[in-house]
Amino acid sequence: MATTILAQRKRRMKAQQWAPYVFISPFFILFLVFGVYPIGYSIVSSFYNWKLIGNKAPVFIGFDNYVNVLTIDPFFLSAVVNTVFLLITGSLLQHVIALPLAILLNSRIVRAKELFKTAFFLPYITSTVSVVIIFGNLFDTNFGLINWVLGLFGLPHFRWSGEDLGIKVILSTILNWKFIGWNTVIYLAGLQAIPAEMYEAAEMDGASGFIKHWKITIPQLYPIIFLAVSLSIIGGMQVFEEPFVLTGGYDNMGGSGNSGLTAAFYLMFTAFKAYKIGKGSAIAWLLFITILGLNAINRQATRKYNQ
Amino acid sequence: MNPFKKLSTYATTFLLGLLALVFAFPFYYVFVLATWRSQEVLAFPPHLWFGTGLLENWTSLFGRVPFATNFLNSLGIATLSTVSVLFFCTLAGFAFSKYQFKLKKTLFFFVIATMAIPGFLNIIPFYKMMVVFGWINTWLPLIVPGMAGAFGIFLMTQFLENALPFELLEAARIDGVGEFSMLWRVVFPLARAGMAVLGVVTFVGSWNNFTGPLILLPDLDATTLPVALSVLNSRVDNNMGALFLGNALTLLPLLVIFMLFSRQIISGLTAGAVKG
Amino acid sequence: MKRLCFMVVLGVVATALLTGQAIDPAKKYEVTVGAYGDLEKAYKAVIATDDFKKKFPNVTLKFQTSDFGGHHNRLTTVIAAGEQTNDIEALEVGYIAQFVQAGGLTDLNAAPFNAKKLSKDLVKFAVANATTEGGALIAMPVDIAPAVMFYRADLAKTAGLNMDNVANWDAYIAALKKLTDKSKGVFGIEHPAAVSAIPLNGGKGGWFQNNKPLEPKSKFLDALSLVQKVKAANVDGDLGAWSGPWSQAYLDGKIASIVNGAWFGGTLRTWLSPAGADGSSPWRVAYLPGKMMASLGGTYLSIPQTVPGPRKLVAYEILKYLTNSPVAQLTTFKEIDAFPALTTVYNDKVMDEPVAYYGGQKVRKIYADVALNIPENKVSEYDAVIGGIWNGAVNDVVSGKSTPQAAYDSALKKVIATIQ
Repeated sequence: MATTILAQRKRRMKAQQWAPYVFISPFFILFLVFGVYPIGYSIVSSFYNWKLIGNKAPVFIGFDNYVNVLTIDPFFLSAVVNTVFLLITGSLLQHVIALPLAILLNSRIVRAKELFKTAFFLPYITSTVSVVIIFGNLFDTNFGLINWVLGLFGLPHFRWSGEDLGIKVILSTILNWKFIGWNTVIYLAGLQAIPAEMYEAAEMDGASGFIKHWKITIPQLYPIIFLAVSLSIIGGMQVFEEPFVLTGGYDNMGGSGNSGLTAAFYLMFTAFKAYKIGKGSAIAWLLFITILGLNAINRQATRKYNQ
Repeated sequence: MNPFKKLSTYATTFLLGLLALVFAFPFYYVFVLATWRSQEVLAFPPHLWFGTGLLENWTSLFGRVPFATNFLNSLGIATLSTVSVLFFCTLAGFAFSKYQFKLKKTLFFFVIATMAIPGFLNIIPFYKMMVVFGWINTWLPLIVPGMAGAFGIFLMTQFLENALPFELLEAARIDGVGEFSMLWRVVFPLARAGMAVLGVVTFVGSWNNFTGPLILLPDLDATTLPVALSVLNSRVDNNMGALFLGNALTLLPLLVIFMLFSRQIISGLTAGAVKG
Repeated sequence: MKRLCFMVVLGVVATALLTGQAIDPAKKYEVTVGAYGDLEKAYKAVIATDDFKKKFPNVTLKFQTSDFGGHHNRLTTVIAAGEQTNDIEALEVGYIAQFVQAGGLTDLNAAPFNAKKLSKDLVKFAVANATTEGGALIAMPVDIAPAVMFYRADLAKTAGLNMDNVANWDAYIAALKKLTDKSKGVFGIEHPAAVSAIPLNGGKGGWFQNNKPLEPKSKFLDALSLVQKVKAANVDGDLGAWSGPWSQAYLDGKIASIVNGAWFGGTLRTWLSPAGADGSSPWRVAYLPGKMMASLGGTYLSIPQTVPGPRKLVAYEILKYLTNSPVAQLTTFKEIDAFPALTTVYNDKVMDEPVAYYGGQKVRKIYADVALNIPENKVSEYDAVIGGIWNGAVNDVVSGKSTPQAAYDSALKKVIATIQ
């Protein structure tokens, strides 16, 4: 009797050892089949003077593409500045709104929570093209609702899509509108997992609402904050479609003052409009390193829990 | 409830209501504009109420593209993607969050790192592979490669970290539940909240994907809604009414699905299960 | 097995060559065509003609149409991957330069096509744009876009203007001032940037002189100064082309004139300003100010290298028909106002007919005259990038951020940094 239980336990221990590998294997199998070749292709091409189309043989040039992008390229630096600006105003600052919103929607003092949650999350389901068409319309110089409202207050029409700052305002607005609800929902889901007893204990110690959340909610949410901010960084650093559609495609390179030219936009332009796939790949890998760096900072910041 | 609390409830609800209206307005606006004839869409002051051109826009929209076929293609691809992503990513998330195994940290970092690779450039070698596989004009390249996406694994790992107490797993093990039956008995039921979010993300991403189907499903009958809309949006009949109607109709199924399942998606995290 | 297949293919090609017959009358063929915008509409009208049915009773066309960006995106990706495209692919003139430099498209001047003798009837500058330095013809022009000025006769009359022979750009701006009536919301022109590409022949080639970018300098400075002058004259509606408000302004009759390619007449006719009950509109056509000769747009048809040999031969027959048959060229023109690239039809009596839409004006004569005099411009592989940078310079001048000189200097710096 005792031996069979022991044998069973042993078998289970064994299963416990190899089961996780089975569970994670689909990702790695698919990565081997579908990911390795494309990624290898883009790593290799980043070291070549490689034309996207045609019969010219690629020429190996070492790190020249990287050096070129970082030193003499006239657009890369400003594209990075544009991207970081949008990352902060369009993707990161919204966490300061989303988290309190989630706490509020999770609390007892709000009515009709379901309705609110739905309303805030809805923008996430829209496609970029639809969103840009809608917001392009709202921010239109002559017919736009925004200028109409400004007009009601006696303010002049602003050329939103025609000015450097205006383009950034529209893009930030779109990103905030689309993703605040998304982040709120992530935080809400995280909040559900915090045991109510923790709050009860704090209340007994006489902690006020704010202190309670500062001391309990935020630390408890670290893994979720890490998740949400990571996703914002990864998405925000790769913003392409919104400025691309808003400013009218490759021909305008991000509109007035190249204000909408993000790093990903410029990489697409380099590869698919200037047909320099090698240089485009180099930009892609620089972007990749930047994203990893930012996420390392994020990990450091939410380290408390992750340790 | 004391009067002060009552007041603050009303005030907060009111403010949230205003914010919600701002968020919801663009949706309303698309449906409003979809009912105005092409030449009436733009007006100053802007339209805030429905027009009478719906029928005209409808005829114009369905006359140009096989909208119903495209709709079914979109639905099929999005559904199959979602189901497979939910299954495989929950598996991997479970493993990464609740097991100790060699190389775990390295492997997890690797998964996250693949997300930071700007995927745009991969389309060319990927397309080459799909031709070799004979997958052009089939649904497969839009479903299979993403079945165990890094994003989903990341999401499910972080969710299960919190939502799945070790004690529960141990209890199940003591009851004699095997590692694989654990999935159905414990993991999937408790992962519902995360799966709901992941499901929406996957479905929405697949539904709105434009570049993929444009290149991989070249036939108009085989392709999806966003590509059909782009055909409609060619210069010739820059028919704004039809365009907004197309947009509205592309949005509508997502809206309906979302409204129907919003309970599961947003608040389906049944408190009882999570808190054990 | 592979070898055998190859031999069979070779055999088929050889037989076809020997008999001079790419199309076997006993077989059925389907040629696939990748197109954008309204091209499908035009070519569908072509294959519906008796002439086509008589010549190609056993050939059908299958179209893959997408919007402008989507079409060129797909085409670039598939060609870059070295995979099979549609048999015939349409290309807008802006994309020609890249392929001329890089390859990827079949040389139509080479055997078995030997298009040289055919292309002599096509308008010269367009053929030159698609010809590589080695003499390969990588696409055949199917329509071209002689640039003209469109104006509204009713508004010109009220302003007491004769727009037919505007002496120069200054005179044009003076006229725009008179046409503009802000109290009625009427603007002389849609946007200052609308004139920017005209002195540069639409920006299709011509960015280099003796391997120096943006030379001769005066040509480029003049173009920017022109934009600045139009802006300063305060005659524009600040309407971005192809935006909703832009089309609305045309529909409402608030735009008095525009300089653009002949194809824009089709856009006006079909949706921006449909004809009245009598088939006419207030729009008329004139030469560009100072009788400048320029082009603004145009379409090419190509056969990508990845199309299998036997399909190429059939595709070429269709491509030849679309570009070199008077019936096809005139049908396309009638259908979507895409002006023929085939010069022999310029003497057709159709060209001399009054056009109802323009109040009976014989506008086609003007188009044909311009078409024959469009200057040849050398295209380069950098055209797309320089075009993007140039648009930025124009933008800076329009918004008043830069003077023409400063915008030119900054653009030149960017161009040099980009192409090295």
